[in-house]
Amino acid sequence: MRKVLFTVFVVALAWCAGTTIASAQATTNQTLTINATVSARVTLTLSVAAVTFGDADPDVTNPIVLTDVLTITAKARVGAAQGVTLTAAAAGPLTSGSDTIPIGNVSWTCSGAGYVPGTMNTVAQAAGSWTGPGSYAGVHSFSLVNNWSYAPGNYSTTVLYTLSAA
Amino acid sequence: MSARHRGRFRTVTRGGCLLAAVLLAVAADTRAQNSSTVTATFTIAAQTKLIFSATTLTFPDADPDTSPVAATQNPITVTAGARFGAGQAVLTVVASDHLRSGMDTMPISALKWTASGPGFVGGTMSMSLAAQTVATWNSSGRYIGSLTFTLDNSWNYAVGNYGTTLIYTLSVP
Repeated sequence: MRKVLFTVFVVALAWCAGTTIASAQATTNQTLTINATVSARVTLTLSVAAVTFGDADPDVTNPIVLTDVLTITAKARVGAAQGVTLTAAAAGPLTSGSDTIPIGNVSWTCSGAGYVPGTMNTVAQAAGSWTGPGSYAGVHSFSLVNNWSYAPGNYSTTVLYTLSAA
Repeated sequence: MSARHRGRFRTVTRGGCLLAAVLLAVAADTRAQNSSTVTATFTIAAQTKLIFSATTLTFPDADPDTSPVAATQNPITVTAGARFGAGQAVLTVVASDHLRSGMDTMPISALKWTASGPGFVGGTMSMSLAAQTVATWNSSGRYIGSLTFTLDNSWNYAVGNYGTTLIYTLSVP
């Protein structure tokens, strides 16, 4: 009988010991390293590919201001202190056959942080500048000096916008 | 069978029964006298194990207009072993810091994951004391799940090579 009791006691002791060990907390850690590469890139989006000035009486409407505006979205991922520049350069004067209108008669006003107004030129003109990465939206509103000296015709030229990181 | 043989058979049978009874008695007596108990104890302590199929996640450069960016190693397979009594096994994760490249940072909340597998849940990464739950289980076992990581992209990120460390912790009561 004493042997049986002793056995029960031993079993109970073992069970208690096992329970005590099992109730101890356990923790495991695993480390995961994260690497992300961000390279320089810029994109430029213009809302329209062409703007058209309508005919107007030079004594009544001068300059001719476009009602349609050009919305520009300049996106740049550069260094935090790196400069971003937007320029506009005309290919040449407005031309209709052999007739021309000086490109300097086209100018623009603007809205949007970093955008600057200017006068069109065949030499690239600053249209906006920023520092650091970001997405910058703005609007250009064009105007054309109207003049009795313009020969009748359909004039056109192209303007090249360039967004670049310094 | 003749009467003589029958008498002998009864005698032998009786003798056999008597011998069997004696043997049984002896055997019974032997068991009583030599009985002992062998106690087998098998200690099962609380235990955890955590294995990841990869220990580095890489997010390549990508056009921010096609956000988010997927990790090159996706999906990560997580194998968690948890042995415990009452309670719940919990797998959590916390980032040591934002993603940093020199002075430039990406918020750690840009890092997100989706999950598959029993007990696993998706989430958004955080840091400091705000550990996020990755999985919970109510009973001991070996659990396998998959984690798929994405990083929100943005034009506002400065150019650089960013990095941080995630610490996964599996705990059982």
